[in-house]
Amino acid sequence: MASVASPVARGVPPIRAGQGHSFLLRRLHSLSGIIPIGAFLLEHFISNAFATNGPRAYADQVKFLTGLPFVPILETVGIYIPLLYHALYGFYIWFRGESNVSDYPWAGNFMYAAQRWTGGIAFIYIAWHTYTMRFSGIHLLTNSQAAFHKVQMELQSPWAGAFYVIGITAASWHFAYGIYLFCAKWGITVSETSRKWMGRVCLVLALTLITIGWVTMAAFFKPQWKNIPEKLPPEQSVERSVH
Amino acid sequence: MAKTVILKIKRQESPKAAARWEEFELTWKPGMNVISAMMEIAANPVTRDGKTTTPIAYDSNCLEEVCGSCAMLINGRARMACSALVDKLDQPIRVEPFSKFPIVRDLAVDRSVIFENLKAVKAWVPVDGTYDLGSGLRIYPTEQEEAYPISRCISCCCCMEACPQFNEDTGFVGAATIAQVRLFNQHPTGKALKHERLQALMGDGGIQECGFAQNCVQVCPKDIPLTKAIADTGREVIKQAIKDFFRG
Repeated sequence: MASVASPVARGVPPIRAGQGHSFLLRRLHSLSGIIPIGAFLLEHFISNAFATNGPRAYADQVKFLTGLPFVPILETVGIYIPLLYHALYGFYIWFRGESNVSDYPWAGNFMYAAQRWTGGIAFIYIAWHTYTMRFSGIHLLTNSQAAFHKVQMELQSPWAGAFYVIGITAASWHFAYGIYLFCAKWGITVSETSRKWMGRVCLVLALTLITIGWVTMAAFFKPQWKNIPEKLPPEQSVERSVH
Repeated sequence: MAKTVILKIKRQESPKAAARWEEFELTWKPGMNVISAMMEIAANPVTRDGKTTTPIAYDSNCLEEVCGSCAMLINGRARMACSALVDKLDQPIRVEPFSKFPIVRDLAVDRSVIFENLKAVKAWVPVDGTYDLGSGLRIYPTEQEEAYPISRCISCCCCMEACPQFNEDTGFVGAATIAQVRLFNQHPTGKALKHERLQALMGDGGIQECGFAQNCVQVCPKDIPLTKAIADTGREVIKQAIKDFFRG
């Protein structure tokens, strides 16, 4: 060996066997992206897709969700804490990596970089989206029937609309490739073949989520649901306009 | 005029000296590779603009891609210089030392970190003793076929150089060492240290730092299924962690 006296005095240090908690923290980061955050993302896409059935159906779904027992605890333990942990630890991972796509322009390496960018974009979007939808304007937890109106008003701004499109796309991409990475790192998809197939499945999932998101957005621009008021009119008249 | 080959080589006198570039123009010869080009420079160390310089320092040995010594950056990519055929490279050929390892001189870098990592994970079969241990257990051909590709590792460190997660902040162990854990954990006698190897990989800089960019498997000159080894070992490490927690 070249330098016997002090093996690794400079450069990248060797592994610190038996030291630190980064294994637990990193695996928690990985797991939290699937459960509960990924599970919540799916629920959120499905719930919002009720808008395609009209303002009444949308309000009913919001009422169901806001009517769940222990809502503040569900929000805090199931969404806020895991999401913040996943995001902040994610930035920590991002800043410690050294992306090198220009030197090694290969698919996996590109996806490595994209996973960081989509995560960052999704985080900014989610922070803004949570603020506008949950913590400002009409309080939907106590006023579920105003849900359609509130989203529709928000989407009137083309900037907000564009941000929704970007946010939905980034979050879907990040989640779908996150599943691919989870399966590879936890040793579920070990073989080359299984990983190739998982890649395809995740691509389909990403495209499906993006499509659902965009179709849901489009529902708020449908002519028959134009200018939906804060208080929905008596049930029948709205239901009729659906058909 | 005879066909020539142009090389741009990054040079550095000592670990702390500033780096500089030198350009060389050589007469083309059939079958030339980057090492043979540098041998010619050593025979006549004159730069393209006629300045006399010193021969280039680099590690090399076997010249047939099995010793792992001559790994360097050629046109920006980690690879073995002996198998880098000049005819297949864009010119001028850019030759640089590995960027993530301390420079000794010119293209020679200190790669001791991989040996420290291999020691930390006990990448060997424990057969040392004061008495005859008898013959080893039988290894079936199916196991052999799994093990052989991983056993080809030449510790060149290309996988580590190309890895976006291998740097001073993360102190990531790198794909090669993880693959060796996979190899020795499969060995019927090597298995004795399986839990120690897996526990070592849970330390800071361990397998968790892998970002699955998959550059390692692309640059590996020995075509080792590194991503497969990482996925496989990833599962074993998690199983070991759960076992350690619940069973103590």
